[in-house]
Amino acid sequence: MGEEVHLGLPGPWAEDYREKADHYTTKIGGVPDWPTEDIGIKPHLLQCSLCGTKLCLVAQVYAPVAKLNIESRTIYVLVCPTSKCGPNPQSWKVLRVQKCHSIVQTNGKVDEVDQRKGNVCSSETSSSFPDKSHEGSDDEIDLDALASALEQAATLASNSKKRNKSKHSNAPIKCPVGKVKADDPSLPVLPCFYIYYGKEKLGGKGIVGPNSSESVSGKEIADVANDEEEKWEGESYEYDRALGADRTFLKFKKRLDAYPQQCFRYSYGGKPLLAATNLQESRVCKLCGAPRQYELQLMSPLSYFLHEASDGSSDYAPDNWTWLTLVIYTCSKNCCPSTCVGKLGNCFWGVAEEEIIVQED
Amino acid sequence: MAERGGERGGFGRGFGRGGRGGRGDRGGRRGGRRGPRQEEEKWVPVTKLGRLVKEGRFTKIEEIYLHSLPVKEHQIVETLVPGLKDEVMKITPVQKQTRAGQRTRFKAFVVVGDNNGHVGLGVKCAKEVATAIRGAIILAKLSVVPVRRGYWGNKIGQPHTVPCKVTGKCGSVTVRMVPAPRGSGIVAARVPKKVLQFAGIEDVFTSSRGSTKTLGNFVKATFDCLMKTYGFLTPDFWRDTKFVKSPFQEYTDLLAKPTKALMLDAPVENIEA
Repeated sequence: MGEEVHLGLPGPWAEDYREKADHYTTKIGGVPDWPTEDIGIKPHLLQCSLCGTKLCLVAQVYAPVAKLNIESRTIYVLVCPTSKCGPNPQSWKVLRVQKCHSIVQTNGKVDEVDQRKGNVCSSETSSSFPDKSHEGSDDEIDLDALASALEQAATLASNSKKRNKSKHSNAPIKCPVGKVKADDPSLPVLPCFYIYYGKEKLGGKGIVGPNSSESVSGKEIADVANDEEEKWEGESYEYDRALGADRTFLKFKKRLDAYPQQCFRYSYGGKPLLAATNLQESRVCKLCGAPRQYELQLMSPLSYFLHEASDGSSDYAPDNWTWLTLVIYTCSKNCCPSTCVGKLGNCFWGVAEEEIIVQED
Repeated sequence: MAERGGERGGFGRGFGRGGRGGRGDRGGRRGGRRGPRQEEEKWVPVTKLGRLVKEGRFTKIEEIYLHSLPVKEHQIVETLVPGLKDEVMKITPVQKQTRAGQRTRFKAFVVVGDNNGHVGLGVKCAKEVATAIRGAIILAKLSVVPVRRGYWGNKIGQPHTVPCKVTGKCGSVTVRMVPAPRGSGIVAARVPKKVLQFAGIEDVFTSSRGSTKTLGNFVKATFDCLMKTYGFLTPDFWRDTKFVKSPFQEYTDLLAKPTKALMLDAPVENIEA
């Protein structure tokens, strides 16, 4: 399709699994970082639909959309921590939290920090678009805001060394956040590590030696074919076949082997990499009725890393996961739920539930 | 990237083997050279079975065969069958007529085995020789099957031949294997002989029928025949099977058991001296 795919590769582990980051961080496990404390998520969205247990965070992905000019948008993938609900696909929930379009002024401040911080890492689109969209209008306040942001960043850098991860994960820091722990210690929490982005390069065909040796071997093969008395006749192209795996899975595995540590693949509006051919159709968005489109998929190395980090306790959810990939579809119009309109000042964050499809082993 | 550099080194050797493979095959060159390179790359398992194998919950591949679990990662086989050697049997160009001329791709046949009861066959088509060889080795490892060996007559020593007459078919070629007395050697054409050597069969009589000129089908028929050795019900298997829990089940049950909190008894009063 030509869409480029961004890969989420594992970065450093968090020192404390319950430490808070901000909603611009992309991480696996840990505690969900809601943009504001009183974000007003309905409690049923945070509970397992089968058993009612409070869900724990699997992945938090900062996913702005450049084309629609939405900068503050994060996707949270939650799962039920009990092992009974594990195999059931209904134990997973995906929430999309985004800022509604009404506020422009605060966006300006955010963008200054974006411009400065978000330039180190290779591929994330969020680093480029703030430059284009707000440069023209905010020229006068640029310097002051920039100076204050630089000061903030200086204090941040000296505060905690683990903020270094933000360079990798492309997460601009809005205000200094110390090592604030989550307030609810009874919440089950998965081991936490941060993510940095890479771009997928499909250069798999070029791993062979220099061209000269290739032409030599081609000629040799032709000679060999004529020399031997046994001619292997009647051969034609044959698709890959293995006893335990079908073609789709072999292709899936081949893409995984190119980047064996990829935890998730992000491609807004692209095509997912399927592990099996029986993919269900995604349903339409519950809020606005627009069709859903593919956005990202979680891959099995993620469950391997979480499994490795387990402390051996029983009833640890990732030990029971058998999924190969989790495909996440989001509303193609990025609608905002109607509840966020009307309250002034307070609520400009919209929370919507999106669809997740599980492909099992 | 380091791994790419390593692969280039490996494929330098692969090229030589691919190109001269046809002529050099009669020398019976074994391909165990890839071993050290593969160990450098760390394997991140994709499937649940892969995770269990990586942890070391299996010692032999027979435990996987017992439960008929599909093996989807070739690293599983590499870990569980340590002495696996591979050999390229043939690389043929395969052509397709297009408007712009002919498009040639290469088809590689690779057989892997440990000369002791496990053998696999892989066939891969690709635009480059090295890619085809590498892909065929992976497919061959994915299709490793156990081979049952038995005796011709007296049950002295180790099994050396097939346990009974078996036949395998692919396309128009059928291959029939008949138990042979010790010392007969493998009585077969050159191509299936290699597969039988990799399987660890020492003596066998074979007979084939059909268009054995199509050596691709011939070698696949031999492989199919070897797969059937364990499918044949003999009186040894008449005893009722004692069912063992599948490794996934065993593992889940272990986790589902509530772990007892460590109960420390109240210290009994000890009379201390």
